[in-house]
Amino acid sequence: MNNLFQNSNNVGAAAQQAVLQNRVKVGVKGWQNATKQDLVSFVSRKTRIGIQDSYVEGNLVIGFVNSRNEANSLLNWNGVRFAGNALKFEILGDNAGLGAAPGTNNTIALLKAFLYKRYNPQAKMLDLGNLRNDPDLTANGLFSTTSTQSKMFPAMMKLASKEDQMVVESVNLSNNNLKDLNMISSLAQTYPNLKNLCLANNQISRFRALEVWRNKFKDLRELLMMNNPITTEPLYRSEMMRLFPKLIILDSVLLRDESKLQQIYSMPMKLQQFFFETSELGQSSIDFVSNFLNLWDTNRTQLMALYTPQSQFSVCIDSSVPSSSVPNSDQNPTFSYYLPLSRNLTKISSERTKQQRLALGQEAIDKLFKSLPKTKHSLQEQPLNYSLEAFSYPQVNGFIITLHGFFDESGAPEIDANKSTPNTSGNRNRRFNHGHSNSTNKLTKKSFDRTWVIVPNPGGVVVASDMLTIRPYADGSWLEIQAQPQATTQPPVQAQQQPQQQPQIPGIVQTPVPNMPIQGSAGASLLLPPEVQSKLNPVQLELLNRLHQQTRLNAEYTYMLADQSGWNFDVALKGFQDSVNNIPREAFI
Amino acid sequence: MNGQSQAAENFVKRIFTFLDETDSQQLAPLVQWFQPAGCKIIVNASAFAQAAGFLETWQRCVVQTQHVVTAVDFHVIPGTGSAVCSVNGKVRFDESGRDKAGQDAAVPAAAGTGATPAAPVGKHRPLWGPYFGLSLQLVVDERALGGDFNGVISSFNYTMVYRPEDSLMAV
Repeated sequence: MNNLFQNSNNVGAAAQQAVLQNRVKVGVKGWQNATKQDLVSFVSRKTRIGIQDSYVEGNLVIGFVNSRNEANSLLNWNGVRFAGNALKFEILGDNAGLGAAPGTNNTIALLKAFLYKRYNPQAKMLDLGNLRNDPDLTANGLFSTTSTQSKMFPAMMKLASKEDQMVVESVNLSNNNLKDLNMISSLAQTYPNLKNLCLANNQISRFRALEVWRNKFKDLRELLMMNNPITTEPLYRSEMMRLFPKLIILDSVLLRDESKLQQIYSMPMKLQQFFFETSELGQSSIDFVSNFLNLWDTNRTQLMALYTPQSQFSVCIDSSVPSSSVPNSDQNPTFSYYLPLSRNLTKISSERTKQQRLALGQEAIDKLFKSLPKTKHSLQEQPLNYSLEAFSYPQVNGFIITLHGFFDESGAPEIDANKSTPNTSGNRNRRFNHGHSNSTNKLTKKSFDRTWVIVPNPGGVVVASDMLTIRPYADGSWLEIQAQPQATTQPPVQAQQQPQQQPQIPGIVQTPVPNMPIQGSAGASLLLPPEVQSKLNPVQLELLNRLHQQTRLNAEYTYMLADQSGWNFDVALKGFQDSVNNIPREAFI
Repeated sequence: MNGQSQAAENFVKRIFTFLDETDSQQLAPLVQWFQPAGCKIIVNASAFAQAAGFLETWQRCVVQTQHVVTAVDFHVIPGTGSAVCSVNGKVRFDESGRDKAGQDAAVPAAAGTGATPAAPVGKHRPLWGPYFGLSLQLVVDERALGGDFNGVISSFNYTMVYRPEDSLMAV
């Protein structure tokens, strides 16, 4: 009897528990002109649905109804008039009245732990197979309703993309009862460079379902789709090849010849940051370019010593906007300072203009220099953002240096070409007159290509020709290559360094410009052990020398300083200044 | 002068037309434009000793391209009989997965595996990828500016300066 009583009591408790578990949280809006109690009574009278445990939160009355069905029928009463307002009902979630509902932070911790449980760092593999039967996930109710199910995977992907130490090349999504990719489509955003993917033992039956991944996963090498209805389709193989252009293996069958595929999708000439015909040319062209740009940024008139009455300079604007998929490309560039100066022969038809825009001799060149915005190049601070080629030019008994990179515009030009036109009619008839305002004159970052023809001269060099192309900013194509270990892209480097002098090569001995900062002039330049030097690129060497001259540190310490500061001159110098009192005496020369 | 700049522009456009050619027979005449001895060819900072070697590699190992000229400027260096030409442009690649001969990398499907019939014979249509940025410096004989292109190119420095992330091509 006692037992029975207890049992029935238990049954009652269990029943009550079941009722509580089925409860659905609802919210009501638009009840402002009455009390909460009035609202609940009204709803109960009108709809015959009781809202329990109600409370007020903001402009909402929140409460619980007994089942999903009740909640849904409540929605049918949307717009019913109460105290002069239309009511609006909404379902806020299942079960939410119980303590069992996991808080957001809880869920994040849970999913994170789950991700690490399923991640294999050796194989670089994330195993997301058979999620439905994972005890951790089901115990926490992440599969209890369709809505949580569909949210769980994207949430997991979002978390995974923040976990930098999780390097994933392979993902297993087998046995997930997938009919399409709706739930897992975010995989392509999280792992765009995925190499291997397993979707075996799912229910995918239509090509259309896979279409969301078209042009995604461009590095996907192997795909497993066994035991999906789609594999029996006659076009299965060709469709998979179309969807994944670099797929090599499909369901363990070879699809494409990998070496042929690699040949098709790559240039045989791999991009490199530097090309120097001879190693001497490397060092001297870097010296020339860094000295030149230093003065270009600070005092352009001083550069006039490099030009002769025969020298030519012109600016050319390439206003074509790079594709938006080019990293950091400027999609809305402005060239208003430059356009009246541009000698882009594909854009100018007037003979007279072509003549006018070629500056010949120091005076014209100086004026054109002053008409260009003031600039700041970052050759020392960000050497990786510049690429350089230098080779000989036998006809002038000299050489050509071409530099690709970027600069910041730091100020308006001394002479504004838009205002000082030789046109006698003033600005009245010019097309720039219309709508020409300050907003088009904003200063931005620009990319450029600049080519100098350099001719040796007794006592120095002269610039015979100087051509500058300015274009919208875009990250250099060589950048990503440099992010990888640099071993393969080393330009030839001088084996030994000449102290006291700029490197001796026929031609460029030393620039005759007064005040031109001359490398090594303040003392011996750095003597690095050859095995260290051979590992450095010319830009790094130049940085070391500059650092050495600023700090008077010896070779070993200069190298340490540069290395610790990630080969950034400013960071290195700052680090030196901060810790100069703690550096031992023997670190200095 | 007008004639000269017209010739320079025309010259550059014709070089690009040659490079975009898929038929090696059509590309061959470009060899004649390079100086036979002592010609410097640098492509993406890789040097080629001879024009023929470069054009053969271009023909055999690079998929079909499409070049667009966006900027041209040149200076005649007085007293040398030569001129420097600076060119900017864009280039895109056929990303259909076929080489210039129309060959793809597909392994023929084993019989009875639901293989599709081989691609239709005939000229395939290229599937153009996004544009890469291009910077080209040329050293040419002054003759080129008079319209005579025979053996005029003494240096050819071709560099890609920006690249789209969504291209399938690795450069």
